[in-house]
Amino acid sequence: MDFFLGGLTRGLGLLVNLDPEVYGIAWLSLRVSLSAVILAALAAVPLGLVIGQKEFVGKRFLVVLFNTLLALPTVVVGLVVYGLLSYHGPLGGLGLLYTPGAMVVAQAVLAFPLITALVIAAVITLDNRVGPTALTLGATPLQAAWAVLKEARFAVLAALAAGFGRVITEVGAAIMVGGNIRHYTRTFTTAIALETSKGEFAQGMALGFFLLVVALAVNLASHQLQARWK
Amino acid sequence: MRLRVLLIVLLTLLLAAPAMAVDRLVLATTTSTANTGLLDVLLPAFTKQSGITVHYIPVGTGKALAIAKRCDADVVIVHAPALEERFVADGYGVDRKPLMHNYFVLVGPPGNPAKVQKSGTVQEALKRIAQAKVPFLSRGDNSGTQVKELSLWKAAGIKPDWPGYREAGRGMGPTLTMADELGAYTLSDIATYRKYLSTGRISLVILADNQDLLKNPYSVILVNPAKCPKVKYDQAKKFEKFLLSAQGQKIIADYEADGKKLFWPVHPSK
Amino acid sequence: MSQALFSLRGVVKRFEQREALNLERLDLEAGVITVVEGPNGAGKTTLLSLLALISPPDRGRLFFDGHELPRSGSQLTAWRRQITLVAQQAYLFETSVDKNVAYGLRLRGMDRATREERVAQALEQVGLAGFGPRRARRLSGGEMQRVALARALVLRPRALLLDEPFANLDPASAQVFERVLGELPGQGCAVVLVSHALEQAHRLAQRVVYLREGRLVPEDGHRPGA
Repeated sequence: MDFFLGGLTRGLGLLVNLDPEVYGIAWLSLRVSLSAVILAALAAVPLGLVIGQKEFVGKRFLVVLFNTLLALPTVVVGLVVYGLLSYHGPLGGLGLLYTPGAMVVAQAVLAFPLITALVIAAVITLDNRVGPTALTLGATPLQAAWAVLKEARFAVLAALAAGFGRVITEVGAAIMVGGNIRHYTRTFTTAIALETSKGEFAQGMALGFFLLVVALAVNLASHQLQARWK
Repeated sequence: MRLRVLLIVLLTLLLAAPAMAVDRLVLATTTSTANTGLLDVLLPAFTKQSGITVHYIPVGTGKALAIAKRCDADVVIVHAPALEERFVADGYGVDRKPLMHNYFVLVGPPGNPAKVQKSGTVQEALKRIAQAKVPFLSRGDNSGTQVKELSLWKAAGIKPDWPGYREAGRGMGPTLTMADELGAYTLSDIATYRKYLSTGRISLVILADNQDLLKNPYSVILVNPAKCPKVKYDQAKKFEKFLLSAQGQKIIADYEADGKKLFWPVHPSK
Repeated sequence: MSQALFSLRGVVKRFEQREALNLERLDLEAGVITVVEGPNGAGKTTLLSLLALISPPDRGRLFFDGHELPRSGSQLTAWRRQITLVAQQAYLFETSVDKNVAYGLRLRGMDRATREERVAQALEQVGLAGFGPRRARRLSGGEMQRVALARALVLRPRALLLDEPFANLDPASAQVFERVLGELPGQGCAVVLVSHALEQAHRLAQRVVYLREGRLVPEDGHRPGA
């Protein structure tokens, strides 16, 4: 029992004591994961929209493909991105390995299939008259696509929230391409992994608790956004 | 409108993240050096003196060398002499220098079912474990600790192949916890063992310690600039010199965790 | 005879192998209410989508106001903005009545003040004054259909197309439709409506076009080839 209680009280302690290292970790986690979700969404939302709306040969295959990609282990994604960003890799010249930028790339790769699959599902279940209705009211094809996205906004925001949840909680890819460098690429999850490996279970629990609080704040903010965006 | 402002702020953050790449030296090292907190004392002292930032990547010895082979690190601090020699012989590493050492410990359940004698040598201890066919947990992750463990079996002339001999495939901490729960013997670095013991997570006891055979030597090796042209050899060389300087060695000698000395520098009197 | 607003020449529309529409020649004038009649599957809705420029013909030529229209491309949007369609059980966006009605005006870049004025006016016209802030998709079926009508009227289209406007309408809403549609020819608007509700349609109709199996049945004087 002290195992959980100790973690909880220490987590509260971390929150109120304004430990700069812990806040640095929180800020980095938030920034990396939000950036990754935005980066992934820039590609995944339009793609999901097109796949969900258009009828074409191979559509079912693509839907199955994206659903399958959800099963990709984070460590494998980390390995692939490591291979790309490594000095000997095709993108080694960017010098991104073991930087927050590398973690953004890896997490974006992780979030991309999830957001795409959820946007496809959101658009497919949407009333198929949205696009034509917008067109008859004078929308350009792009404006009609935007109208579809707006009608599916709750599901699309939920897709983004799910993407955020996936990346801020993953540890395999972040540790592999970020390197868990103190004050630089140490996020919640990599810090928790490290504390646990050191036997500092209470600190690990505390960080986990803190992570939940941050995730709660992000979800409340996105919920607020949904409520306003009518 | 609010949404647009928010998006712009977030996009700026996104663009700022990769731009945060800094000029730094990348040190690939073992979790044992990182977890003790030694590097958090050693590296700031070097940065203060030289103005060079060092970022350390805490992984196992095998992985640290693999990262260095791919030119993704400038310098390594590791503890597996056999792997290190191969790393240098294959041309990946240069300027390999012994840095410090500590001792591995053989630990086992308090009941000591194999009747290992604390006063005996580690070879005798391993023989008793093998004869009693009691559970033994190996790291199984090609870490410096596992490499050491395998060399100890070899030195004792034993092939560890009884059913109770298992591989955890995990780091030192989880392996200790598993060993504790399985009532198994295992080889551990002293720092991690002490940490786990002090938190009350395990009740394993030390059965062999401070013997030459259990010596755990750490080396510093620079990545060969001939293999990796972009490696920061000159800065890495400065770092190595600092580690072996009187100041660096003193920091290592003076470093204590929970009131106990953890590392013995190679040049203690300097 | 005045120039037709819509002129279709040899227009063919196929769905897979089936010929859904094959019109040798059809002209529709401004300021006239044309009712399109015909059995199910005669191609009535297909004709409306074609006239609404959201579903291009496979063959043939389509003229609007004397200009031949392209099948696709950016100019098509400009032409489409002069025409609008009220679908059967029209889709309303998941937002307020106001925003639904203002949608087309926003697309046209109209300033806010003009937009609000026109929206209020259009809602008044369909008897929904004060409904602006309500959520469009929570209204009754008849009210929803009236919002869709207001959303079309607010654009002041040169051609208004309606698919079964009287289907499933409560009497009050049907009355609104009849009154509003009756005023449109006087404003020079071409009204084309597909309807099964023969009584109301015939009261409004200034011209009736019969379709059967995608072809015109020559009964209204515009005999093909005549």
